[in-house]
Amino acid sequence: MTDTECQRYLEDPEANAAHLQSCAECRAVSAALAEKSDVEPASIDVDALPLAPWEGSSHRPWPLVLGITAVVVAVALALCDAAGLSPLHVAESSLTSMEAMRGLIDRATASLRAASLVWQIAFGVAFLIVNALLIVLLRRSPRGIDA
Amino acid sequence: MRRMLRLFLPLTIVAATLVTAMIAAPPGFGIHPPDGIAEATAMLQKTAVIAALLAVWMIVAVSLTLLSGREIRYSSVEMRASALHCFALGLVAVTSFALTAIVFSYLIPYHVGLPLLFALGVFAILTKIYGLVAVFHAIGTLVAGSRTREQLNRRNWLRGDLAMVVIGVVVLGAIRLIPIVGPIVWGFASVFGIGTALATKFGRREPWFLAYRLHLS
Repeated sequence: MTDTECQRYLEDPEANAAHLQSCAECRAVSAALAEKSDVEPASIDVDALPLAPWEGSSHRPWPLVLGITAVVVAVALALCDAAGLSPLHVAESSLTSMEAMRGLIDRATASLRAASLVWQIAFGVAFLIVNALLIVLLRRSPRGIDA
Repeated sequence: MRRMLRLFLPLTIVAATLVTAMIAAPPGFGIHPPDGIAEATAMLQKTAVIAALLAVWMIVAVSLTLLSGREIRYSSVEMRASALHCFALGLVAVTSFALTAIVFSYLIPYHVGLPLLFALGVFAILTKIYGLVAVFHAIGTLVAGSRTREQLNRRNWLRGDLAMVVIGVVVLGAIRLIPIVGPIVWGFASVFGIGTALATKFGRREPWFLAYRLHLS
């Protein structure tokens, strides 16, 4: 019943279980803790919680998806037919926009080659600054709630 | 430094947005009816091409959502949670892609430029495709997403990632068909998408760079 024995019991209750028989104070503490641990946690109203993004996300409404996709494809085919375009022409037009972008990059490169050394250094500095800023922004961890 | 960045970033975004809008907007804002048969045919052909590309986007979006719905959802949530960061990251990434493409194009005579340019092009296209599908999901959720659990339980069709993506394609596609406004909105959506794809590392939410920590004992 000394303080040392009580301390030893509190540090490792299982190894010093015999101490409870001789110490009324520790017995009272142990009984109080056991009572508290028997109390059930407050019930949670699941419906009152905000809707999580993953709830119902695996549902696949095929009639809606296939219906809308079919309508969009049908409208696109009808418009292409009315305009006298073939799917090949659509693919060509999207490739043309890629070619335009390629042309823009080629022109910028040619201008850079023809530019003075100062402008070339300025371009290099701008390249480094933009990429450094990109790395700084990429280092931030995502903030979205768990989905 | 952090405070300066907080002030500097919104200013940069506003300035970049104005510059992008000035570049993207056509010289005359007035919408006028076609003058002749030739102009009307050209307009119809343009609309047909846009509609055909939207159909392709629809098929790509549905396929990608079926393959990796969870990743798309992560990115969509991130975009709605921190839109400004995604937009800023998208603007910086697009600028970086352009500058890097010029640098790689500059290196073409030295034989390393062409494969690097090809790799950059593939990466940029994949980023844009993934990002736009995430934007479709975010728009679909904003427009038609369930607000309460009761509403979700009552719905049979308008629920799930696939439905949200399809609704997003329809909404953004309808806006895309509007002259002048459509391409600008689509461009902004692409910037958002690229930013979101990179911010979440394609929905994996892993860090891009390892953090080094010095252990001093």
